[in-house]
Amino acid sequence: MILPGKRVPLPAVPVVHRRFEAHAKATPDATAVRWAGQSLSYRELNAKANQFAALLAERGHARGAKVGVCLDYSIDMLVVILGILKAGAAYVPLDPAYPEARLRLLLGQIADLAAIVASPATAELVDSATVPVIDLAQLADQLAALPETDPDVTVTGDDLCYAVFTSGSTGVPKLTAVRHENWFNLLNWLSREYRLDRRSHNLVVSAFGFDLSQRSLMAPLFCGATQHLMASRNFDPAMAYRLLGEHDIRVVHCASSTLYVLVDWEVAAGGDTLSRLDYVLFGGEPLHVERVLDWARREGNTCTLLHQYGVAECADVATSFDLAGYRRGEHDVAPVGRPGYNTDIHLVDEELRGVRTGEHGEICIAGRSVGAGYLNGSGPESARFTTIQVHGAPVRIYRTGDRGYVTGDGQLIVLGRMDTQVKVRGMRIDLHDIERALGRLPGVRQAAVVVGRTDSGETELTAFLVPAGDEPAEKDVRAQLLKALPRNMVPAHFRTISRLPLSPHGKVDRAALLDELRTTVPPR
Amino acid sequence: MTDERTVMIAERVHAIWCRELQNDDVAYDDDFFALAGHSLIMAKIQRAFVLEIGVEVPVDQLYRNPTVASISAYIESLQTVAT
Repeated sequence: MILPGKRVPLPAVPVVHRRFEAHAKATPDATAVRWAGQSLSYRELNAKANQFAALLAERGHARGAKVGVCLDYSIDMLVVILGILKAGAAYVPLDPAYPEARLRLLLGQIADLAAIVASPATAELVDSATVPVIDLAQLADQLAALPETDPDVTVTGDDLCYAVFTSGSTGVPKLTAVRHENWFNLLNWLSREYRLDRRSHNLVVSAFGFDLSQRSLMAPLFCGATQHLMASRNFDPAMAYRLLGEHDIRVVHCASSTLYVLVDWEVAAGGDTLSRLDYVLFGGEPLHVERVLDWARREGNTCTLLHQYGVAECADVATSFDLAGYRRGEHDVAPVGRPGYNTDIHLVDEELRGVRTGEHGEICIAGRSVGAGYLNGSGPESARFTTIQVHGAPVRIYRTGDRGYVTGDGQLIVLGRMDTQVKVRGMRIDLHDIERALGRLPGVRQAAVVVGRTDSGETELTAFLVPAGDEPAEKDVRAQLLKALPRNMVPAHFRTISRLPLSPHGKVDRAALLDELRTTVPPR
Repeated sequence: MTDERTVMIAERVHAIWCRELQNDDVAYDDDFFALAGHSLIMAKIQRAFVLEIGVEVPVDQLYRNPTVASISAYIESLQTVAT
């Protein structure tokens, strides 16, 4: 079963920042970015980004380099990202909302990192790095003396533009790289298909480390519109909702769980700000359609809700579905729709042979959105990028590890994972990654994490702990884990168990643990 | 700022925390995250502060003040400035 996307030609050099530069030339006085009451025009942002690119060049960080970015949302963040791209380099987001220990682990996974850009507020978090740390605040004079003109650096569609961390399958996060061609193809699809233009002002509401934040950051600059950033390290619903109302913001990209928060806010506050947006592009985790449907169908709601599916390994979005087409009763699960431009969805069985319409299979992605692969090592995940024969010709695909099927009218339905990965509040998590962190704690001999659901349908993690000696105090384990892992990875509940049940193959029997969860009342 | 007012804010904050965390056993110095709090519950608490107490508390401040006692003191400081 192949679900083909529309074929749309791309420019000979599909390089994302060239689009931004073209807008800087065509509409230099348009506002490019707003943050904390400050703003820069396209001309100003372009000039500052050029100066930063020149600084990188001066320091020898040339085409092909990888530069970490550990900054809070700010105007400087866009200056830095565009400057890195202009230098021909790729950026790696290092989310300052992560604990220092987690950032240290991530830094250890980036081979050949050239430098890290930080600010006085974040520098401490990347103290462990062995590479130079660049602080813009200390370099203002030096930057001002550098040329404001576009640097003469050759960049092609094959060059890497960014790399983000995503869950692996062995407890070590994977650094997955995206090429300019992949990113350009995505932004070109979204802007042409949904007619995003210089009025399509955007607000970023997702965490910097998420793959979806990369397109949310670049989409308005690709279209000539204004990017609005929040002066907040953590997602702030009150501030977001207020900014949506105060400015002429038209588009928001977010995880499904963030959409619920914004919808709940609008319903509780009796507003209509969200309803009047042009688009919310959302997805990244199983949708509880009931959480948004009543709001979406209210009279006067003119916001188009695009329910999307994709993976970080393939430029983040592969398919899109206008939720207005959702029919209760007809669809058990809300579809994620059809592929984007130059992107195909293949559904295959275990032998990588195509399954038929309606049959369940593994979702694979092919076409110009398939990324460059993992930069850290050759773990078992690398085999997910593979080649299959289609009508006698080789086709490079990425096996997502997601299960799904295609309906009779050509819509993709995603059913869930084939392995132990799970999405919690939009973040893709490998349970082994959490189990490893738990296993490192002094009071824990062994740990297993299982996935349950709350009454309102949200994914929730429970950790079963085998104590090393005296029973570990739950609060203590949680507090220690919060220092080691991003908050979404810290389980909601901890249970002490004398030993972990094993399957006949000697692996931890998660099904038995889930039974244990269902049959016993959780301690409060 | 009277002591009575201080007590009143802390009591209302405490009631909101208990409700949103679905936990009646919250002490004034318990840490939000140690009580299994997460970003979605944080959003509900922020909204309740706006709708029920009439203050918009930035989420970054909720993270920096993760106990009933400290966030109540923060809210009080806001209201002192405002009046």
